[in-house]
Amino acid sequence: MEPLKILIVDDEEDLAFTMAERLRLRGFQAEAVTSAIEALKRLGKDPFSVLVLDVKMPGIDGLQMMAEIKHKHQDLPVILLTGHGSAADAERGMRAGAFDYLMKPIDLERLIEMIKMSARAKEGGTL
Amino acid sequence: MNEAPYHRHAPQQLAFFGKIGADVSHEMRNVLSIIGEYAGLLADLLAAAEAGRPLDHARLKQLSDNIVGQVRKGTGTMERFSRFAHTTDEPTASFDLTALAEDVAALAQRHVALAGCKLEVQLPNRAIQVIGNPFGLQHAVFSAIGIMLELLEKGEPATLRLDTEGSMAVISISGNAAPGGDLSGRISQLSAAMSELKGTAGTSWKDKMLSLVLTVPIP
Repeated sequence: MEPLKILIVDDEEDLAFTMAERLRLRGFQAEAVTSAIEALKRLGKDPFSVLVLDVKMPGIDGLQMMAEIKHKHQDLPVILLTGHGSAADAERGMRAGAFDYLMKPIDLERLIEMIKMSARAKEGGTL
Repeated sequence: MNEAPYHRHAPQQLAFFGKIGADVSHEMRNVLSIIGEYAGLLADLLAAAEAGRPLDHARLKQLSDNIVGQVRKGTGTMERFSRFAHTTDEPTASFDLTALAEDVAALAQRHVALAGCKLEVQLPNRAIQVIGNPFGLQHAVFSAIGIMLELLEKGEPATLRLDTEGSMAVISISGNAAPGGDLSGRISQLSAAMSELKGTAGTSWKDKMLSLVLTVPIP
């Protein structure tokens, strides 16, 4: 079975790349980028199983990117990452079609659980 | 009875304090998240080594250095925030404007980054000692940065400069501004705030370069 392919988008480079490395150590095919523009380019080249997306980013933020994704990649599950102060933004993201959201600091086990659940929902057509 | 200026601007000043507090807490959350991920990665690499994967000592050293770097970054943020919080201790104090401008510029960086801009900072390598309300002055500088962010052309940086001209310290926030922005209301608010700080606020245009200029008397 092919490993799930995850794209992480967070303007905090250290966070995004370390999270991707940890997911790779656990058998996922994970990549990280640090802006919505890079992410949209990457998504245009290859299909991904799940997108992990920070809500607060300079330029195009996570919520603006959600709108783009729902337009161009309707069946791509999105897990939002947010700080406590941005919980209202995460709720808006959920209404815009995100699969779920996690508060920072991230519990990696919880993220992996969500990634698997969202990929199953995608496979089952229940997104 | 006349309301003291210190209290008249209390709602706006409280909002400013809250904004800085929220930005600092966000930055600290990021620092802690990154340290958490590095610590998690160290644990993952050790678990992988127990399962037979060779341990890369250079990688472990790099991760350890990265954790130290994040601790330094977080410590700097907390020290800066502590200095900022203590500027509310007294409505009037003698303070180094160079250090204050450096702090407020650093505290504004997240606000600037979220607006998709950059703030360059040019400070003299000497202290400029002034007497006044340090919290009110930081509020004025932050407000001027906010006005500039609204007027900047997309992708253009802003520059914060501090220098002296005769008996005045001059803080200017400059950048290539998009035409058509109405400055009058915001500048008159800023002028009123600076007047209560015994200073002035004004604007100057040179080609497309807009400068918001705040002055403070040097005793």
